[in-house]
Amino acid sequence: MALQSLSPPVCGRAPGDLTAIGLAVSVPLVHWSADSRSVSASDGDLARAIASAPPGAAEAEESELYRRFAPRVRLYGLKHLRDESDAQDLAQQVLLVVIERLRAGEIRTPDQIGSFILGTSRILAGAGERKTRRRDNLTAQFHAADLYAEPALDSIDLAAVERCLHVLADRDRRVLLLSFYAEKSSPEIAAELRVTATVVRVARHRALARMRACVGLQEARTV
Amino acid sequence: MTGSRCPAPLAFADVVDYWAGELTKVEEDRIEEHVFTCHACARELADGEVLARGIAAVARDGRLHSVITDAILNRLSADGVRIRTFTLEGSGIVPCAVWAGDDLVVSRIRADFADVDCVTIVTRLASGEEIVRLPDIAIQPGQREILSAFSAAQLRQLPATRVSVSVTAQGGSGERMLAEYTLEHGGSFER
Repeated sequence: MALQSLSPPVCGRAPGDLTAIGLAVSVPLVHWSADSRSVSASDGDLARAIASAPPGAAEAEESELYRRFAPRVRLYGLKHLRDESDAQDLAQQVLLVVIERLRAGEIRTPDQIGSFILGTSRILAGAGERKTRRRDNLTAQFHAADLYAEPALDSIDLAAVERCLHVLADRDRRVLLLSFYAEKSSPEIAAELRVTATVVRVARHRALARMRACVGLQEARTV
Repeated sequence: MTGSRCPAPLAFADVVDYWAGELTKVEEDRIEEHVFTCHACARELADGEVLARGIAAVARDGRLHSVITDAILNRLSADGVRIRTFTLEGSGIVPCAVWAGDDLVVSRIRADFADVDCVTIVTRLASGEEIVRLPDIAIQPGQREILSAFSAAQLRQLPATRVSVSVTAQGGSGERMLAEYTLEHGGSFER
């Protein structure tokens, strides 16, 4: 398995100055085939295994940590950065920073690794002015496309979405299009459809739940 | 928490509100803190994102056959969706066609909707075969037109033919015809 070269841990950074890290951490360039022990381990167990191993020796655990959390950081990025490529960049950088911190023994509460990853996501996503530098650092050291693990649900069946959208009642379909395409708020949609904002929210809940069932996302979950 | 069940799962309604931008900052923070410690609920949040993104992609691709609103039409225009518009009003035959490069065809269907709460629009070929039925379209007081969108890709499948569009209202005494229009569909043309 190919590995990027590893640099010594970076110490003495100001708290929160995560973007100053040179991202000189490595994770396996992979196919993320973490062993079964890693897959069944808790998040805290993974963090402890990475922290206690010599740098880079806990490949399976690092891969599993990445597999679990990169999609969540991407979702956070989509919500707050509103751009797919920025969200993917954020996911890569956050996980690289976290793994480096673990390797350096700088995370004192491994059982709260999820909270640490969220906090890191907030800091890095908030550092908008550093985005260019962040991306440049990333590009300089990694082949990002090789690193990023596609979220399991990323491949969407547009034909199914199209079919299911058109099965909905007219008003429910309009509410979804106004919400998620035209990006209108409930009060704006309510004014356009001449109903109350509460009616809009209830219609949106009901319609998206039906869409989820119709496109088979819940079934995919239980298989 | 890994793949185990969540003892306090997120309601899907909260997931929907999260992606619709309807939550307060405190509520958003609560959801994010939960999904970063809960694999099961992270999947719920991913479901919501996939659906929201899919709906936007369907619209952006012009894959609609639906009644839309001005706000949706404006957004489609802003996104560069190539829209061909026809107005159906009064009597007479409306010539129409779909051209290479069109993404979406929008009909502005004008009629007297006074005292009507709800209508059904049915589009039929000359043979009587239904192409599309849009039932239960809510009509607002004072509304004078309905915007009906149809995927240009689907219209390209149609041969040159005469098409009828009927607008009916449901009333106490059954279905009532509000308007009927005839279009002469010339087929699909290259520029």
